[in-house]
Amino acid sequence: MRFWIGSFIVAVVLSGVCAWTVADDPVPAGPYTLLYPASFGGRFTIPADNPMTQEGVYLGRLLFYEPKLSSTQTISCASCHQQARAFTDGLALSIGVHGKTTRRNSMSLTNLLWVRQLFWDGRSTSLEEQALVPLGHTDEMGSKPGEAAKALQKTIPYPVLFKQVFGSDTITDVRISKALAQFERTLISANSRYDQYAAGQYQLTESEQRGMQLFNRSPSPERNVRGGNCAHCHGGAKLFQELFHNNGLDKQATDSGRQAITGLALDQGRFRVPTLRNIALTAPYMHDGRFNSLEKVLDHYSEHIQPSPMLAPELAGQPNGFHLTTGEKTDLISFLRLFTDSTFIHNPQFANPH
Amino acid sequence: MKTINAQLAGCWSLSVLIVCLLTGLKSQAQTVLTVTGEVTKPLTLQTADLTAMAHTQVTGKDRDGKDHQYSGILVVDLLKQAGATVGGELRGENLTKYVIVKAIDGYEVLFALPELDAEFASRSIILADSVDGASLGPGVGPYRIVVPGEKKPARWIREVKSIEVRFAK
Ligand code: HEC
Ligand code: HEC
Repeated sequence: MRFWIGSFIVAVVLSGVCAWTVADDPVPAGPYTLLYPASFGGRFTIPADNPMTQEGVYLGRLLFYEPKLSSTQTISCASCHQQARAFTDGLALSIGVHGKTTRRNSMSLTNLLWVRQLFWDGRSTSLEEQALVPLGHTDEMGSKPGEAAKALQKTIPYPVLFKQVFGSDTITDVRISKALAQFERTLISANSRYDQYAAGQYQLTESEQRGMQLFNRSPSPERNVRGGNCAHCHGGAKLFQELFHNNGLDKQATDSGRQAITGLALDQGRFRVPTLRNIALTAPYMHDGRFNSLEKVLDHYSEHIQPSPMLAPELAGQPNGFHLTTGEKTDLISFLRLFTDSTFIHNPQFANPH
Repeated sequence: MKTINAQLAGCWSLSVLIVCLLTGLKSQAQTVLTVTGEVTKPLTLQTADLTAMAHTQVTGKDRDGKDHQYSGILVVDLLKQAGATVGGELRGENLTKYVIVKAIDGYEVLFALPELDAEFASRSIILADSVDGASLGPGVGPYRIVVPGEKKPARWIREVKSIEVRFAK
Protein backbone atom coordinates (compact mmCIF):
# COMPACT_ATOMS: atom_id res chain seq x y z
CA MET A 1 0.00 0.00 0.00
CA ARG A 2 1.15 3.49 -0.81
CA PHE A 3 0.79 6.36 1.57
CA TRP A 4 0.42 9.89 0.48
CA ILE A 5 2.43 12.41 2.32
CA GLY A 6 -0.22 15.00 2.80
CA SER A 7 0.90 16.88 -0.26
CA PHE A 8 -1.84 17.76 -2.66
CA ILE A 9 -1.21 17.95 -6.35
CA VAL A 10 -2.51 21.08 -7.88
CA ALA A 11 -3.38 20.68 -11.50
CA VAL A 12 -4.17 23.95 -13.08
CA VAL A 13 -6.04 23.22 -16.21
CA LEU A 14 -5.52 26.07 -18.59
CA SER A 15 -8.60 27.30 -20.19
CA GLY A 16 -8.93 27.73 -23.92
CA VAL A 17 -11.94 29.88 -23.36
CA CYS A 18 -11.01 33.39 -22.35
CA ALA A 19 -12.21 34.14 -18.89
CA TRP A 20 -14.05 37.35 -19.20
CA THR A 21 -15.70 38.83 -16.19
CA VAL A 22 -18.74 40.94 -16.59
CA ALA A 23 -19.29 43.54 -13.89
CA ASP A 24 -21.78 42.39 -11.25
CA ASP A 25 -21.53 38.84 -12.55
CA PRO A 26 -21.73 36.32 -9.74
CA VAL A 27 -20.60 33.45 -11.99
CA PRO A 28 -17.02 32.50 -11.14
CA ALA A 29 -14.67 32.52 -14.11
CA GLY A 30 -11.20 31.36 -15.07
CA PRO A 31 -9.32 28.07 -15.16
CA TYR A 32 -10.48 25.47 -12.64
CA THR A 33 -7.91 24.02 -10.26
CA LEU A 34 -8.27 20.34 -9.44
CA LEU A 35 -7.06 19.33 -5.98
CA TYR A 36 -6.21 15.73 -5.18
CA PRO A 37 -3.69 13.75 -3.13
CA ALA A 38 -0.40 12.91 -4.86
CA SER A 39 -1.07 9.21 -4.21
CA PHE A 40 -4.07 9.31 -6.55
CA GLY A 41 -1.69 9.92 -9.43
CA GLY A 42 -2.03 11.88 -12.62
CA ARG A 43 -3.30 9.12 -14.91
CA PHE A 44 -6.26 10.96 -16.40
CA THR A 45 -6.97 13.01 -19.47
CA ILE A 46 -9.15 16.02 -19.86
CA PRO A 47 -10.34 16.28 -23.47
CA ALA A 48 -8.60 19.11 -25.32
CA ASP A 49 -11.97 20.38 -26.55
CA ASN A 50 -13.41 20.59 -23.04
CA PRO A 51 -10.92 22.31 -20.75
CA MET A 52 -12.08 22.84 -17.16
CA THR A 53 -13.18 26.32 -16.25
CA GLN A 54 -14.91 27.64 -13.15
CA GLU A 55 -17.83 28.86 -15.26
CA GLY A 56 -18.04 25.43 -16.93
CA VAL A 57 -18.15 23.62 -13.59
CA TYR A 58 -20.74 26.14 -12.32
CA LEU A 59 -22.98 25.47 -15.33
CA GLY A 60 -22.42 21.71 -15.10
CA ARG A 61 -23.63 21.70 -11.52
CA LEU A 62 -26.80 23.63 -12.43
CA LEU A 63 -27.46 21.10 -15.20
CA PHE A 64 -26.78 18.10 -12.97
CA TYR A 65 -29.65 19.23 -10.73
CA GLU A 66 -31.89 20.40 -13.62
CA PRO A 67 -35.14 18.42 -14.09
CA LYS A 68 -35.77 20.33 -17.36
CA LEU A 69 -33.28 17.93 -18.94
CA SER A 70 -35.87 15.13 -18.79
CA SER A 71 -38.81 14.73 -21.17
CA THR A 72 -41.26 15.06 -18.26
CA GLN A 73 -39.24 17.85 -16.60
CA THR A 74 -39.36 15.81 -13.39
CA ILE A 75 -36.09 13.90 -13.25
CA SER A 76 -32.55 15.21 -13.03
CA CYS A 77 -29.24 13.39 -12.88
CA ALA A 78 -29.44 13.94 -9.13
CA SER A 79 -32.65 11.90 -8.86
CA CYS A 80 -30.57 8.75 -9.30
CA HIS A 81 -27.27 10.23 -8.09
CA GLN A 82 -27.91 11.86 -4.68
CA GLN A 83 -25.05 13.55 -2.86
CA ALA A 84 -26.07 12.25 0.60
CA ARG A 85 -25.70 8.69 -0.76
CA ALA A 86 -22.36 9.41 -2.47
CA PHE A 87 -24.35 10.00 -5.66
CA THR A 88 -26.37 6.78 -5.71
CA ASP A 89 -30.12 6.45 -5.03
CA GLY A 90 -30.68 3.72 -2.47
CA LEU A 91 -32.63 1.56 -4.92
CA ALA A 92 -31.73 -1.84 -6.36
CA LEU A 93 -32.74 -0.53 -9.78
CA SER A 94 -33.45 3.14 -10.48
CA ILE A 95 -36.71 4.53 -11.80
CA GLY A 96 -36.83 6.71 -14.89
CA VAL A 97 -39.34 9.11 -16.45
CA HIS A 98 -41.81 6.40 -17.46
CA GLY A 99 -41.83 4.69 -14.08
CA LYS A 100 -39.92 1.71 -15.41
CA THR A 101 -36.75 0.48 -13.76
CA THR A 102 -33.26 0.72 -15.23
CA ARG A 103 -31.44 -2.46 -16.20
CA ARG A 104 -28.76 -2.00 -13.55
CA ASN A 105 -28.01 -0.41 -10.18
CA SER A 106 -27.10 3.29 -10.11
CA MET A 107 -23.37 3.91 -9.71
CA SER A 108 -21.61 6.17 -7.24
CA LEU A 109 -20.15 9.24 -8.96
CA THR A 110 -16.84 9.55 -7.15
CA ASN A 111 -13.33 10.16 -8.45
CA LEU A 112 -14.63 9.81 -12.01
CA LEU A 113 -11.65 11.87 -13.15
CA TRP A 114 -9.65 8.62 -13.04
CA VAL A 115 -12.23 6.29 -14.60
CA ARG A 116 -11.49 5.50 -18.21
CA GLN A 117 -14.22 2.95 -18.98
CA LEU A 118 -17.54 4.06 -17.59
CA PHE A 119 -20.64 2.02 -16.64
CA TRP A 120 -20.85 -1.44 -15.12
CA ASP A 121 -19.72 -2.92 -18.43
CA GLY A 122 -17.19 -0.20 -19.30
CA ARG A 123 -18.98 0.69 -22.53
CA SER A 124 -18.38 4.43 -22.47
CA THR A 125 -14.94 6.01 -22.68
CA SER A 126 -15.59 9.62 -21.70
CA LEU A 127 -17.86 11.53 -19.37
CA GLU A 128 -18.89 13.72 -22.30
CA GLU A 129 -20.11 10.67 -24.24
CA GLN A 130 -21.58 9.05 -21.13
CA ALA A 131 -23.86 11.96 -20.18
CA LEU A 132 -25.80 11.67 -23.45
CA VAL A 133 -26.86 8.12 -22.50
CA PRO A 134 -29.09 8.86 -19.47
CA LEU A 135 -30.29 12.04 -21.18
CA GLY A 136 -31.78 10.07 -24.05
CA HIS A 137 -32.58 6.68 -22.50
CA THR A 138 -36.33 5.99 -22.30
CA ASP A 139 -35.91 4.40 -18.86
CA GLU A 140 -33.90 7.35 -17.55
CA MET A 141 -34.52 10.95 -18.67
CA GLY A 142 -36.19 10.09 -21.98
CA SER A 143 -35.28 13.26 -23.91
CA LYS A 144 -35.21 12.99 -27.69
CA PRO A 145 -32.07 14.41 -29.33
CA GLY A 146 -32.12 18.20 -29.03
CA GLU A 147 -35.24 18.22 -26.81
CA ALA A 148 -33.46 19.12 -23.56
CA ALA A 149 -31.36 21.75 -25.35
CA LYS A 150 -34.53 23.29 -26.75
CA ALA A 151 -36.16 23.40 -23.28
CA LEU A 152 -33.13 25.18 -21.82
CA GLN A 153 -32.89 27.58 -24.75
CA LYS A 154 -36.33 28.91 -23.77
CA THR A 155 -35.22 29.85 -20.26
CA ILE A 156 -33.75 33.19 -19.21
CA PRO A 157 -30.52 32.16 -17.43
CA TYR A 158 -29.21 29.24 -19.49
CA PRO A 159 -28.45 30.93 -22.86
CA VAL A 160 -26.41 33.57 -20.98
CA LEU A 161 -24.50 30.90 -19.08
CA PHE A 162 -23.78 28.84 -22.20
CA LYS A 163 -22.43 31.99 -23.82
CA GLN A 164 -20.11 32.51 -20.88
CA VAL A 165 -18.84 28.95 -21.03
CA PHE A 166 -18.80 28.16 -24.75
CA GLY A 167 -18.70 31.61 -26.31
CA SER A 168 -22.10 31.08 -27.93
CA ASP A 169 -25.61 31.10 -26.52
CA THR A 170 -26.71 28.22 -28.74
CA ILE A 171 -27.51 25.29 -26.47
CA THR A 172 -26.81 21.80 -27.81
CA ASP A 173 -26.82 18.32 -26.29
CA VAL A 174 -23.06 18.15 -26.79
CA ARG A 175 -22.52 21.39 -24.86
CA ILE A 176 -24.81 20.13 -22.09
CA SER A 177 -22.73 16.96 -21.84
CA LYS A 178 -19.48 18.94 -21.80
CA ALA A 179 -20.59 21.11 -18.89
CA LEU A 180 -21.90 18.06 -17.00
CA ALA A 181 -18.56 16.32 -17.52
CA GLN A 182 -16.71 19.32 -16.12
CA PHE A 183 -18.79 19.22 -12.95
CA GLU A 184 -18.41 15.46 -12.60
CA ARG A 185 -14.61 15.71 -12.81
CA THR A 186 -14.68 17.85 -9.65
CA LEU A 187 -16.40 15.12 -7.58
CA ILE A 188 -13.25 14.07 -5.77
CA SER A 189 -13.41 12.14 -2.50
CA ALA A 190 -10.09 12.05 -0.65
CA ASN A 191 -10.86 12.80 2.98
CA SER A 192 -12.22 9.61 4.52
CA ARG A 193 -10.80 8.18 7.73
CA TYR A 194 -8.93 5.77 5.49
CA ASP A 195 -7.22 8.70 3.72
CA GLN A 196 -6.48 10.29 7.08
CA TYR A 197 -4.97 7.02 8.29
CA ALA A 198 -2.81 6.85 5.15
CA ALA A 199 -1.66 10.40 5.84
CA GLY A 200 -0.73 9.50 9.42
CA GLN A 201 -3.56 11.54 10.91
CA TYR A 202 -5.80 8.78 12.20
CA GLN A 203 -5.07 5.74 14.29
CA LEU A 204 -6.92 2.52 13.52
CA THR A 205 -8.82 0.74 16.28
CA GLU A 206 -7.83 -2.89 16.83
CA SER A 207 -10.88 -4.13 14.96
CA GLU A 208 -10.16 -1.80 12.01
CA GLN A 209 -6.55 -2.96 12.03
CA ARG A 210 -7.62 -6.61 11.82
CA GLY A 211 -10.15 -5.70 9.14
CA MET A 212 -7.42 -4.03 7.08
CA GLN A 213 -5.28 -7.14 7.25
CA LEU A 214 -8.14 -9.31 6.04
CA PHE A 215 -8.79 -6.79 3.26
CA ASN A 216 -5.19 -6.72 2.09
CA ARG A 217 -4.07 -10.32 2.51
CA SER A 218 -4.49 -13.26 0.28
CA PRO A 219 -5.36 -16.37 2.34
CA SER A 220 -2.68 -19.00 2.78
CA PRO A 221 -3.78 -21.93 4.95
CA GLU A 222 -0.27 -23.48 4.85
CA ARG A 223 1.18 -20.37 6.46
CA ASN A 224 -1.88 -19.87 8.64
CA VAL A 225 -2.67 -16.53 7.02
CA ARG A 226 -6.30 -15.42 6.92
CA GLY A 227 -7.42 -13.03 4.23
CA GLY A 228 -10.17 -11.97 1.86
CA ASN A 229 -7.92 -10.77 -0.96
CA CYS A 230 -10.17 -7.71 -1.38
CA ALA A 231 -7.29 -5.33 -2.13
CA HIS A 232 -6.37 -7.35 -5.22
CA CYS A 233 -9.44 -5.86 -6.91
CA HIS A 234 -10.52 -3.01 -4.64
CA GLY A 235 -7.21 -1.75 -3.21
CA GLY A 236 -4.94 1.25 -3.70
CA ALA A 237 -5.15 4.84 -2.55
CA LYS A 238 -8.31 5.47 -4.56
CA LEU A 239 -9.86 2.13 -3.48
CA PHE A 240 -10.45 1.57 -7.16
CA GLN A 241 -8.73 -0.47 -9.82
CA GLU A 242 -10.12 -0.42 -13.29
CA LEU A 243 -10.65 -4.15 -13.72
CA PHE A 244 -13.46 -6.33 -15.02
CA HIS A 245 -14.24 -9.49 -13.11
CA ASN A 246 -16.83 -12.07 -12.28
CA ASN A 247 -17.06 -12.23 -8.49
CA GLY A 248 -19.17 -15.37 -8.41
CA LEU A 249 -22.67 -13.95 -7.99
CA ASP A 250 -24.22 -16.59 -10.26
CA LYS A 251 -23.21 -19.89 -11.76
CA GLN A 252 -24.83 -18.77 -14.98
CA ALA A 253 -25.02 -14.99 -15.31
CA THR A 254 -28.35 -13.67 -16.63
CA ASP A 255 -26.78 -10.31 -17.54
CA SER A 256 -23.86 -10.98 -19.87
CA GLY A 257 -22.12 -7.77 -18.69
CA ARG A 258 -18.79 -7.05 -20.33
CA GLN A 259 -19.32 -9.76 -22.95
CA ALA A 260 -21.96 -7.68 -24.72
CA ILE A 261 -19.29 -5.02 -25.30
CA THR A 262 -16.25 -7.12 -26.24
CA GLY A 263 -17.92 -10.18 -27.76
CA LEU A 264 -15.47 -12.38 -25.87
CA ALA A 265 -16.86 -15.58 -24.35
CA LEU A 266 -14.41 -15.16 -21.46
CA ASP A 267 -16.10 -11.86 -20.57
CA GLN A 268 -19.46 -13.50 -19.81
CA GLY A 269 -20.88 -12.13 -16.55
CA ARG A 270 -17.89 -9.90 -15.87
CA PHE A 271 -18.51 -6.38 -14.57
CA ARG A 272 -16.32 -3.44 -13.73
CA VAL A 273 -14.99 -3.61 -10.21
CA PRO A 274 -16.80 -0.71 -8.50
CA THR A 275 -15.08 1.75 -6.21
CA LEU A 276 -15.37 1.03 -2.49
CA ARG A 277 -15.22 4.75 -1.61
CA ASN A 278 -18.22 5.62 0.59
CA ILE A 279 -19.33 2.00 0.33
CA ALA A 280 -21.31 2.19 3.58
CA LEU A 281 -23.51 4.86 1.94
CA THR A 282 -24.20 3.20 -1.41
CA ALA A 283 -26.41 0.18 -0.65
CA PRO A 284 -27.89 -1.82 -2.28
CA TYR A 285 -24.87 -3.49 -3.82
CA MET A 286 -23.72 -5.18 -7.04
CA HIS A 287 -24.73 -4.41 -10.64
CA ASP A 288 -28.30 -5.54 -9.96
CA GLY A 289 -28.52 -4.26 -6.40
CA ARG A 290 -29.14 -7.77 -5.04
CA PHE A 291 -27.57 -7.24 -1.60
CA ASN A 292 -29.07 -4.59 0.67
CA SER A 293 -26.31 -4.55 3.30
CA LEU A 294 -22.57 -4.95 3.68
CA GLU A 295 -23.28 -7.97 5.89
CA LYS A 296 -24.92 -9.68 2.92
CA VAL A 297 -21.98 -8.75 0.68
CA LEU A 298 -19.61 -10.39 3.13
CA ASP A 299 -21.84 -13.46 3.41
CA HIS A 300 -21.45 -13.71 -0.35
CA TYR A 301 -17.65 -13.53 -0.33
CA SER A 302 -17.54 -15.78 2.71
CA GLU A 303 -19.92 -18.60 1.80
CA HIS A 304 -21.80 -18.14 -1.47
CA ILE A 305 -19.30 -17.59 -4.28
CA GLN A 306 -20.62 -19.55 -7.26
CA PRO A 307 -18.06 -21.48 -9.27
CA SER A 308 -17.96 -20.95 -13.03
CA PRO A 309 -15.21 -20.85 -15.64
CA MET A 310 -15.40 -17.03 -15.61
CA LEU A 311 -14.96 -16.71 -11.84
CA ALA A 312 -11.89 -14.60 -11.03
CA PRO A 313 -8.96 -16.86 -10.02
CA GLU A 314 -8.44 -14.85 -6.80
CA LEU A 315 -11.91 -15.93 -5.67
CA ALA A 316 -11.79 -19.48 -6.99
CA GLY A 317 -9.18 -20.69 -4.53
CA GLN A 318 -11.49 -22.10 -1.87
CA PRO A 319 -14.89 -23.65 -2.47
CA ASN A 320 -17.67 -21.05 -2.15
CA GLY A 321 -15.62 -18.38 -0.41
CA PHE A 322 -13.24 -17.35 2.33
CA HIS A 323 -15.29 -18.79 5.22
CA LEU A 324 -14.87 -15.77 7.47
CA THR A 325 -15.83 -16.03 11.12
CA THR A 326 -18.44 -13.68 12.61
CA GLY A 327 -15.64 -11.72 14.27
CA GLU A 328 -13.74 -11.44 11.00
CA LYS A 329 -16.84 -10.14 9.24
CA THR A 330 -17.31 -7.51 11.96
CA ASP A 331 -13.67 -6.45 11.59
CA LEU A 332 -13.89 -6.20 7.81
CA ILE A 333 -17.06 -4.12 8.00
CA SER A 334 -15.50 -1.75 10.52
CA PHE A 335 -12.63 -1.30 8.05
CA LEU A 336 -15.01 -0.74 5.10
CA ARG A 337 -16.76 1.96 7.14
CA LEU A 338 -13.50 3.96 7.17
CA PHE A 339 -14.07 4.64 3.48
CA THR A 340 -16.94 7.03 4.25
CA ASP A 341 -15.97 10.60 3.42
CA SER A 342 -18.40 12.90 5.19
CA THR A 343 -16.78 16.05 3.79
CA PHE A 344 -17.56 14.72 0.30
CA ILE A 345 -21.25 14.17 0.94
CA HIS A 346 -21.57 17.53 2.70
CA ASN A 347 -19.41 19.56 0.32
CA PRO A 348 -21.51 22.65 -0.55
CA GLN A 349 -19.78 22.81 -3.97
CA PHE A 350 -21.51 19.58 -4.93
CA ALA A 351 -24.96 20.39 -3.52
CA ASN A 352 -28.14 21.39 -5.33
CA PRO A 353 -27.61 25.03 -6.44
CA HIS A 354 -31.21 25.75 -7.45
CA MET B 1 -17.22 -33.13 2.40
CA LYS B 2 -15.37 -35.28 -0.09
CA THR B 3 -18.46 -35.88 -2.18
CA ILE B 4 -19.26 -32.16 -2.25
CA ASN B 5 -15.77 -31.41 -3.45
CA ALA B 6 -15.99 -34.12 -6.06
CA GLN B 7 -19.31 -32.74 -7.24
CA LEU B 8 -17.91 -29.27 -7.38
CA ALA B 9 -14.93 -30.45 -9.34
CA GLY B 10 -17.35 -32.25 -11.64
CA CYS B 11 -19.44 -29.15 -12.27
CA TRP B 12 -16.29 -27.18 -12.78
CA SER B 13 -14.82 -29.37 -15.45
CA LEU B 14 -18.19 -29.75 -17.15
CA SER B 15 -18.67 -26.00 -17.35
CA VAL B 16 -15.09 -25.51 -18.47
CA LEU B 17 -15.79 -28.01 -21.21
CA ILE B 18 -18.95 -26.19 -22.28
CA VAL B 19 -17.18 -22.85 -22.37
CA CYS B 20 -14.20 -24.33 -24.16
CA LEU B 21 -16.58 -25.74 -26.74
CA LEU B 22 -18.32 -22.38 -27.07
CA THR B 23 -15.09 -20.44 -27.29
CA GLY B 24 -13.60 -23.11 -29.52
CA LEU B 25 -16.46 -22.80 -31.98
CA LYS B 26 -16.41 -19.03 -31.87
CA SER B 27 -12.66 -18.59 -31.94
CA GLN B 28 -12.41 -20.05 -35.45
CA ALA B 29 -12.77 -16.53 -36.72
CA GLN B 30 -12.14 -14.53 -33.56
CA THR B 31 -9.22 -12.19 -33.06
CA VAL B 32 -7.32 -13.33 -29.98
CA LEU B 33 -4.44 -10.86 -30.01
CA THR B 34 -3.70 -7.46 -31.51
CA VAL B 35 -0.31 -5.79 -31.88
CA THR B 36 -0.76 -2.09 -32.55
CA GLY B 37 0.62 1.39 -31.90
CA GLU B 38 4.02 2.56 -33.15
CA VAL B 39 4.31 -0.27 -35.70
CA THR B 40 4.30 -0.33 -39.49
CA LYS B 41 2.06 -3.41 -39.85
CA PRO B 42 -0.55 -3.68 -37.07
CA LEU B 43 -1.48 -7.32 -36.43
CA THR B 44 -4.83 -8.91 -35.65
CA LEU B 45 -4.07 -12.53 -34.92
CA GLN B 46 -6.22 -15.60 -34.53
CA THR B 47 -5.42 -18.72 -32.55
CA ALA B 48 -4.13 -20.55 -35.65
CA ASP B 49 -1.72 -17.69 -36.50
CA LEU B 50 -0.17 -17.86 -33.07
CA THR B 51 -0.02 -21.66 -33.03
CA ALA B 52 1.87 -21.56 -36.32
CA MET B 53 4.58 -19.19 -35.05
CA ALA B 54 7.93 -20.45 -33.78
CA HIS B 55 7.75 -21.43 -30.11
CA THR B 56 10.44 -21.03 -27.46
CA GLN B 57 10.64 -22.91 -24.15
CA VAL B 58 11.52 -21.15 -20.92
CA THR B 59 11.53 -22.12 -17.26
CA GLY B 60 10.01 -19.80 -14.70
CA LYS B 61 8.81 -19.74 -11.09
CA ASP B 62 5.11 -19.01 -10.70
CA ARG B 63 3.41 -17.79 -7.51
CA ASP B 64 3.50 -21.35 -6.17
CA GLY B 65 7.31 -20.94 -5.96
CA LYS B 66 7.86 -23.95 -8.24
CA ASP B 67 9.63 -24.09 -11.59
CA HIS B 68 7.41 -24.66 -14.61
CA GLN B 69 8.15 -25.19 -18.28
CA TYR B 70 6.42 -22.60 -20.42
CA SER B 71 6.20 -22.65 -24.18
CA GLY B 72 5.26 -19.65 -26.27
CA ILE B 73 6.17 -17.02 -28.81
CA LEU B 74 9.00 -14.57 -28.17
CA VAL B 75 7.34 -11.19 -27.69
CA VAL B 76 10.09 -9.66 -29.81
CA ASP B 77 9.06 -11.93 -32.71
CA LEU B 78 5.55 -10.50 -32.56
CA LEU B 79 7.01 -7.00 -32.51
CA LYS B 80 9.26 -7.80 -35.49
CA GLN B 81 6.32 -9.15 -37.43
CA ALA B 82 4.41 -5.95 -36.72
CA GLY B 83 7.34 -3.83 -37.85
CA ALA B 84 8.22 -2.27 -34.50
CA THR B 85 11.68 -0.72 -34.15
CA VAL B 86 13.54 -3.64 -32.61
CA GLY B 87 17.00 -5.09 -33.37
CA GLY B 88 19.21 -2.69 -35.33
CA GLU B 89 16.59 0.05 -35.19
CA LEU B 90 16.47 0.09 -31.42
CA ARG B 91 18.55 3.21 -30.82
CA GLY B 92 18.18 6.97 -30.61
CA GLU B 93 14.67 8.13 -29.85
CA ASN B 94 13.39 4.57 -30.30
CA LEU B 95 14.90 3.86 -26.91
CA THR B 96 12.08 5.90 -25.41
CA LYS B 97 9.49 3.43 -26.70
CA TYR B 98 7.63 1.00 -24.49
CA VAL B 99 5.06 -1.71 -24.77
CA ILE B 100 1.72 -1.86 -22.89
CA VAL B 101 0.33 -5.36 -22.56
CA LYS B 102 -3.39 -5.52 -21.74
CA ALA B 103 -5.47 -8.36 -20.37
CA ILE B 104 -9.14 -9.21 -20.80
CA ASP B 105 -9.78 -8.18 -17.18
CA GLY B 106 -8.29 -4.73 -17.79
CA TYR B 107 -4.95 -5.37 -16.05
CA GLU B 108 -2.06 -3.63 -17.79
CA VAL B 109 1.73 -3.91 -17.54
CA LEU B 110 4.60 -2.15 -19.23
CA PHE B 111 7.91 -3.27 -20.74
CA ALA B 112 10.53 -0.98 -22.22
CA LEU B 113 11.48 -2.15 -25.72
CA PRO B 114 15.08 -3.06 -24.75
CA GLU B 115 13.74 -5.45 -22.09
CA LEU B 116 12.23 -7.50 -24.89
CA ASP B 117 15.00 -7.26 -27.48
CA ALA B 118 17.48 -10.13 -27.71
CA GLU B 119 20.36 -7.72 -28.47
CA PHE B 120 19.84 -6.06 -25.09
CA ALA B 121 18.28 -8.60 -22.77
CA SER B 122 19.74 -11.93 -21.77
CA ARG B 123 16.37 -13.42 -20.83
CA SER B 124 13.61 -14.36 -23.26
CA ILE B 125 10.20 -12.88 -22.48
CA ILE B 126 7.49 -14.96 -24.12
CA LEU B 127 3.77 -14.93 -24.76
CA ALA B 128 3.13 -18.40 -23.37
CA ASP B 129 0.31 -20.63 -24.58
CA SER B 130 1.18 -23.71 -22.56
CA VAL B 131 2.61 -24.72 -19.21
CA ASP B 132 4.17 -28.09 -18.51
CA GLY B 133 2.73 -29.34 -21.79
CA ALA B 134 -0.89 -28.34 -21.11
CA SER B 135 -2.78 -25.27 -22.32
CA LEU B 136 -3.24 -22.49 -19.78
CA GLY B 137 -6.31 -22.83 -17.54
CA PRO B 138 -9.32 -20.53 -17.08
CA GLY B 139 -8.42 -17.10 -15.75
CA VAL B 140 -4.81 -17.57 -16.94
CA GLY B 141 -4.97 -18.38 -20.63
CA PRO B 142 -5.26 -18.56 -23.48
CA TYR B 143 -2.10 -16.39 -23.40
CA ARG B 144 0.12 -15.23 -20.59
CA ILE B 145 3.38 -13.28 -20.53
CA VAL B 146 6.21 -15.12 -18.79
CA VAL B 147 9.29 -13.21 -17.65
CA PRO B 148 11.88 -15.81 -16.62
CA GLY B 149 14.02 -14.78 -13.67
CA GLU B 150 11.81 -11.91 -12.53
CA LYS B 151 11.53 -12.31 -8.74
CA LYS B 152 7.87 -11.30 -8.52
CA PRO B 153 5.50 -12.59 -11.22
CA ALA B 154 3.30 -9.45 -11.21
CA ARG B 155 4.16 -8.71 -14.85
CA TRP B 156 3.30 -12.27 -15.86
CA ILE B 157 0.05 -10.84 -17.09
CA ARG B 158 -2.70 -13.41 -17.67
CA GLU B 159 -5.45 -13.45 -20.32
CA VAL B 160 -3.37 -11.24 -22.64
CA LYS B 161 -5.44 -9.65 -25.40
CA SER B 162 -3.33 -6.84 -26.81
CA ILE B 163 0.18 -5.47 -27.13
CA GLU B 164 0.62 -1.81 -27.96
CA VAL B 165 3.88 -0.02 -28.73
CA ARG B 166 4.02 3.60 -27.60
CA PHE B 167 6.41 6.50 -27.44
CA ALA B 168 7.04 8.08 -24.03
CA LYS B 169 5.82 11.62 -24.60
C1 HEC C 1 -33.06 6.97 -13.85
C2 HEC C 1 -31.85 6.99 -13.07
C3 HEC C 1 -30.64 7.71 -13.61
C4 HEC C 1 -30.56 9.00 -14.06
C5 HEC C 1 -31.68 10.01 -14.22
C6 HEC C 1 -29.18 9.23 -14.37
N1 HEC C 1 -28.43 8.12 -14.09
FE1 HEC C 1 -26.44 7.95 -14.22
N2 HEC C 1 -26.56 5.98 -13.86
C7 HEC C 1 -27.72 5.30 -13.58
C8 HEC C 1 -27.50 3.87 -13.66
C9 HEC C 1 -28.55 2.78 -13.44
C10 HEC C 1 -26.13 3.70 -13.99
C11 HEC C 1 -25.43 2.38 -14.29
C12 HEC C 1 -25.89 1.96 -15.69
C13 HEC C 1 -25.11 0.85 -16.37
O1 HEC C 1 -23.97 0.59 -16.02
O2 HEC C 1 -25.67 0.26 -17.30
C14 HEC C 1 -25.57 5.04 -14.09
C15 HEC C 1 -24.23 5.31 -14.36
C16 HEC C 1 -23.72 6.59 -14.48
C17 HEC C 1 -22.31 6.90 -14.65
C18 HEC C 1 -21.16 5.91 -14.73
C19 HEC C 1 -20.30 5.93 -13.47
C20 HEC C 1 -19.14 5.00 -13.52
O3 HEC C 1 -18.42 4.88 -12.52
O4 HEC C 1 -18.89 4.35 -14.55
C21 HEC C 1 -22.20 8.26 -14.75
C22 HEC C 1 -20.94 9.07 -14.95
C23 HEC C 1 -23.54 8.79 -14.66
N3 HEC C 1 -24.43 7.76 -14.47
C24 HEC C 1 -23.85 10.14 -14.77
C25 HEC C 1 -25.16 10.59 -14.95
C26 HEC C 1 -25.49 11.93 -15.42
C27 HEC C 1 -24.49 13.03 -15.77
C28 HEC C 1 -26.85 12.00 -15.47
C29 HEC C 1 -27.70 13.16 -15.95
C30 HEC C 1 -27.51 13.58 -17.32
C31 HEC C 1 -27.35 10.71 -15.02
N4 HEC C 1 -26.31 9.90 -14.73
C32 HEC C 1 -28.70 10.42 -14.89
C33 HEC C 1 -28.95 5.88 -13.29
C34 HEC C 1 -29.28 7.15 -13.65
C1 HEC D 1 -11.45 -10.71 -8.26
C2 HEC D 1 -11.83 -9.38 -7.94
C3 HEC D 1 -12.56 -9.10 -6.64
C4 HEC D 1 -12.17 -9.44 -5.35
C5 HEC D 1 -10.96 -10.22 -4.93
C6 HEC D 1 -13.16 -8.86 -4.48
N1 HEC D 1 -14.10 -8.20 -5.20
FE1 HEC D 1 -15.64 -7.10 -4.48
N2 HEC D 1 -16.33 -6.82 -6.36
C7 HEC D 1 -15.74 -7.28 -7.52
C8 HEC D 1 -16.63 -7.06 -8.64
C9 HEC D 1 -16.36 -7.42 -10.10
C10 HEC D 1 -17.79 -6.46 -8.13
C11 HEC D 1 -19.05 -6.08 -8.91
C12 HEC D 1 -19.77 -7.36 -9.27
C13 HEC D 1 -21.11 -7.21 -9.93
O1 HEC D 1 -21.88 -6.31 -9.58
O2 HEC D 1 -21.39 -8.04 -10.80
C14 HEC D 1 -17.56 -6.31 -6.68
C15 HEC D 1 -18.46 -5.71 -5.81
C16 HEC D 1 -18.21 -5.49 -4.46
C17 HEC D 1 -19.04 -4.70 -3.59
C18 HEC D 1 -20.30 -3.95 -4.00
C19 HEC D 1 -19.93 -2.60 -4.56
C20 HEC D 1 -21.10 -1.82 -5.08
O3 HEC D 1 -20.95 -0.59 -5.22
O4 HEC D 1 -22.15 -2.39 -5.38
C21 HEC D 1 -18.47 -4.73 -2.35
C22 HEC D 1 -18.96 -4.02 -1.10
C23 HEC D 1 -17.30 -5.56 -2.45
N3 HEC D 1 -17.16 -6.00 -3.75
C24 HEC D 1 -16.46 -5.85 -1.40
C25 HEC D 1 -15.42 -6.78 -1.47
C26 HEC D 1 -14.73 -7.30 -0.32
C27 HEC D 1 -14.99 -6.89 1.11
C28 HEC D 1 -13.82 -8.20 -0.80
C29 HEC D 1 -12.90 -9.09 0.01
C30 HEC D 1 -13.57 -10.02 0.87
C31 HEC D 1 -13.94 -8.22 -2.24
N4 HEC D 1 -14.94 -7.35 -2.61
C32 HEC D 1 -13.14 -8.96 -3.09
C33 HEC D 1 -14.50 -7.85 -7.61
C34 HEC D 1 -13.78 -8.34 -6.53
